[in-house]
Amino acid sequence: MQEALSPSSLASALNQLRERMGNSSDFIVREFADGPSAPPRMAVCYLTELVDQEQLSLLLDSLVAETRSDDDDAERIEADLRTRIRVGNVRRVHSSDEILAAVLAGEAAILSDGVAGAIAASVQGAPKRSIEEPSSQTVVRGPKEGFTEDLNVNLAQIRRRIRSPDLRVEERLVGRYTQTRVSAVYIEGIARPEVVEELRRRLDAIDIDSVLESGYIEEFIQDKSFTPFPTIQNTERPDTIAAHLLEGHVAVLVDGTPFALVLPVTFFKFFLSSEDYYQRYDIVSLVRIIRFISFFVSLLLPSLYVAITTFQQEMLPTTMLISLAAQREGVPLPALMEALLMELTFEVIREAGIRMPRVIGPAISIVGALVLGQAAVQAGLVSGAMVIIVSFTAIASFVIPSIAMSAAIRLVRFGLMFLAGTFGLFGILAGLVPLLVHMASLESFGVPYLMPVAPLRFRNFKDLVIRVPWRLMKSRPAVIGSRNPTRQADYRDKTGGR
Amino acid sequence: MMERQTVTVSSLAIAFALFEVGSTTLFLIGAEANQDAWIAMSLAAAIGFVLLMLYMAIYRADPHRDLFALCRFYLGRWLGNAFGFSFAAYFAYEASRNLRDLAELTMLILLNRTPLFVLLTITVLVVANTARYGAKVLFYTCLVLLPMMAVSYLFLNIMFVSMNLIRFQNMLPVLENGWGPIWQAAVPRIVSFPFGQSVLFLVFFPLAKASFSRLRSAVYVSYAVIAVVLIFLNQVNILVLGTGIAKNSMVPLLESVQLIEFANVFERMDIFFVLVLFLGLGIKMAAFLIGATTGLHKVTGIGYKKCVPLIGGAVYALSFSSPNYVHHIWLGKVVTYWDPLFQIALPAILLIVIWARHSKKASVLKKSE
Repeated sequence: MQEALSPSSLASALNQLRERMGNSSDFIVREFADGPSAPPRMAVCYLTELVDQEQLSLLLDSLVAETRSDDDDAERIEADLRTRIRVGNVRRVHSSDEILAAVLAGEAAILSDGVAGAIAASVQGAPKRSIEEPSSQTVVRGPKEGFTEDLNVNLAQIRRRIRSPDLRVEERLVGRYTQTRVSAVYIEGIARPEVVEELRRRLDAIDIDSVLESGYIEEFIQDKSFTPFPTIQNTERPDTIAAHLLEGHVAVLVDGTPFALVLPVTFFKFFLSSEDYYQRYDIVSLVRIIRFISFFVSLLLPSLYVAITTFQQEMLPTTMLISLAAQREGVPLPALMEALLMELTFEVIREAGIRMPRVIGPAISIVGALVLGQAAVQAGLVSGAMVIIVSFTAIASFVIPSIAMSAAIRLVRFGLMFLAGTFGLFGILAGLVPLLVHMASLESFGVPYLMPVAPLRFRNFKDLVIRVPWRLMKSRPAVIGSRNPTRQADYRDKTGGR
Repeated sequence: MMERQTVTVSSLAIAFALFEVGSTTLFLIGAEANQDAWIAMSLAAAIGFVLLMLYMAIYRADPHRDLFALCRFYLGRWLGNAFGFSFAAYFAYEASRNLRDLAELTMLILLNRTPLFVLLTITVLVVANTARYGAKVLFYTCLVLLPMMAVSYLFLNIMFVSMNLIRFQNMLPVLENGWGPIWQAAVPRIVSFPFGQSVLFLVFFPLAKASFSRLRSAVYVSYAVIAVVLIFLNQVNILVLGTGIAKNSMVPLLESVQLIEFANVFERMDIFFVLVLFLGLGIKMAAFLIGATTGLHKVTGIGYKKCVPLIGGAVYALSFSSPNYVHHIWLGKVVTYWDPLFQIALPAILLIVIWARHSKKASVLKKSE
């Protein structure tokens, strides 16, 4: 490999490393020498905050006990080191760049005089959050653990759920400065190889200085940027990821964030929750229908109200018309302005609710509910009916399980309100049709966004608006899980036609 | 088109059905035949089926080329381009008729005080935007819209029946004036509108990625179902309103819908129902627009996306050709007599030429053997 190095080579290598790290105070170089005045023959480098102290002392113990062998053969020294080191994962690194990368990832680099390169031992032990209940996707029934910011913890949660050798994890580092670990997870034999290959291609093409959240990756690898609709799902629930993997989807986990990505996804996936498969199917079917109704309510209710009260009053029953007219008598604004104002107010309250410190919460709800709701109606600035419409719309938008989808609806809703205020029902249709056409044109990693409705895949209707009982879902969803279509044996056959 | 699109047979068949619905439900078809409109329509549907078989024969003879490519390949460059261009112009004109229908309908029912040109502009923008994406996306959109339209029409008829609005005596007497008026109504008027317009699908059949027999059976089934549905929907107007009102009403279906009223909540359902009519009109218009755009693209070689604004502008300009709705309707009746040229004559010539060329080639091959 190389000839025996002069005694100065270790010192110079260490100096080089120190220099590259800019003599950072947390970069520790622990040197071992044979005697007080002898030059160091071995050194361990690490970043003090990234290593686990217990593992490190274990490592140091094993190194101190070492006595120098007489021969200077580099390979012998290395083999000797490898057998002595009492920590889990040990690997050989060659250049100083590699040594630094290992140190920055929390490994300890063991440099030895006379050996080119170093041995990296994993003694990582950076501080991490414990597993907690996911805050953005809660369930009544189902596992309560969520992902954390640590990729290894997250992968462990998936591996614990799918104990199959076919579960594949492919890791790469993205981000010139952050060197963030990004892992693609899929099940070999279920996921479509074209999707995995396409994902690899897109991930490899990313060249950015930093990746701090999976949102960075999502924006790079999604099919189309200029769309309000999410074409990649995100979740912080390991059970959701496991369920998707088993249906043939691919997951992307990013170190440093509890939000993992799922792809490819279709429009209808955003209305499903992992709990749908844990509760009884009939209840779930009802809930799903309610979700789809809520989708239309939160998308259309304010626009329909504006359109009908402004242009098509004749549609309303007479008694309702009179009551609405009486309410609107003192309102100075046209219905469109009234609706926009109220929607805007709600958006402000909602945004304030997210950012403000928890202790101020009650104050905002008092101001929001009493001042902006009741007082505004009493003062005659807005009609009571409008307050009802806007609040119902807001509540309906929270029924949709995916935050990304309900955000998309919020955006579209404002546009539709404008169209409704200017052209009535015709305007709403003129807004909805391009939206629908746009959705029909979207794809997520080659899967049409509106599948299974367009193109038709009748097999997938079993788990769309309604969910049939588990024993009837014998096959995986078409297209996405079509490589390995059979999900279960016939339950009735096995139980003797029960 | 940027890349060669492929569509599934199911989406093509459903788009075909919705295309046939199109603007048909807007009018009373076969008004000259009075209460026997259903006989006239059935007759026309049967003739339309023969035409569809003609188009299928063309498609079968060369399933890889669309209408414009066929013209060019079999009729030579000049004649083929002339044929192709006239087809494109015909499709564009049909689109412009739908555009005007839609805008006039909006003026009539929804927005009485909005200027016509504003409605025409919005509509042409929305539909041209759809055409920009090409046939595949339109067909996917049709798949999403099918359940909505089907449920609306079904609901409507359930209401008619349950509210006891159907009067079967309106259909009697059958054949009051013999076959004369029926024949006159059917040929060529009802044959060319709506049934003969399926000539447009010669542009779309080659997009399907399936065997000929599967496509053929899907399209035939789709045609049969939709023909029955259309005959039924058309006759419902007569059953509800009687021939007198149905003949003289501008949009008889909406007139019938207005009679539905229950629980003091569902009144003036025509306003919602006009939106369903819009969807049908829009699908048909978008299909024609895509056909015309594909034609211009194939004939001139200008990029597909660049052709969309050209055809869209032409359609927009053509939609102003009538000063008012009455003239527009009258013009429609006049133009109908030209339709057989595009729906029967040109396709027939094309098929004969294709067959002649094929048999010549076959005989040459035989000789060489």
